[in-house]
Amino acid sequence: MPMSSSESATVLKRTVIIAIFAAVAVVLSIVEAQIPLVGMGLMPGAKLGFANIMILTCIFFLRGRDAFLLVILKTLLTAFLLGTFSSLLFSLSGSLLSFVVMFLLVRWGREKFSVIGISIAGGLAHNTGQLLAASLVFNSLSILYYLPILLITGVVTGIAVGFAVRYLVASLSKIAIFEEFLD
Amino acid sequence: MKRADVLLISIVLVAALAFLVPKWFSGNEDKDGAGKNRVANVMVDGKLFRTVKLTEEEQTVDIRTERGYNILKVHDYGIEMYDADCPDKICLGFGFITLPKQTIVCLPHRVLVEIASVSGEDDVDAYVQ
Repeated sequence: MPMSSSESATVLKRTVIIAIFAAVAVVLSIVEAQIPLVGMGLMPGAKLGFANIMILTCIFFLRGRDAFLLVILKTLLTAFLLGTFSSLLFSLSGSLLSFVVMFLLVRWGREKFSVIGISIAGGLAHNTGQLLAASLVFNSLSILYYLPILLITGVVTGIAVGFAVRYLVASLSKIAIFEEFLD
Repeated sequence: MKRADVLLISIVLVAALAFLVPKWFSGNEDKDGAGKNRVANVMVDGKLFRTVKLTEEEQTVDIRTERGYNILKVHDYGIEMYDADCPDKICLGFGFITLPKQTIVCLPHRVLVEIASVSGEDDVDAYVQ
């Protein structure tokens, strides 16, 4: 199907934005993997979830399928680079559930929820999805013992991520390449 | 922040604390009767791999699967993950656990360690014979 030049320019811009966002998300994941959270008395396995900044920002600017592609790219690349391929199943179920929840809230819940609320919901969905997948694989409910404490850390990191997204969306909206994706 | 945000935060925090607060209280009582009758169930891939009695003497449990190895160490009526070749080392962060229902998880190797009372009940303080 032949495309007009403005259409193909849009497609190109989308691809470039996804690629840049995926790169930043992967770097954020690698940086946060170096932070010893366990040493700070936090629950093992708890994460700051900074990569979520890029995914939520992407949901705001681009279409659902673009953000979905970003989620898959980020999860696969992080697994390869950090060597955590064996836990791919868990990170994938966490990030997919988180993506679905945030996507639905951005499209239909924006009058009720601010960016911060959406980011918190995404963080909570991520932790819940991961624990559910783990309890299915282990065939044991005792892992859900960690759900309450992970929900609390999810709220705290969700607030931080939400503020970051608010500033990032405001700044990116001023850049020419993002202008045509504003709704 | 909008009203729904605040509502979401409060509901989640209240629900999480409702589960956590009773646990802190019962946790304190548990410590006195330092369970001499506790075991650790080691599960691999959802199946029971071994049950070890939590003794004062030191003993180690080696788990070797095609995914890699995990070494558990039992001592002072508790158990800890001593070493593992998993990529994230999260399982080492769980530390030394002694109380029933506490767990150590190694997601990459699909290993789950859970403490249980031998009687099968968790909150029995003492038996009179």
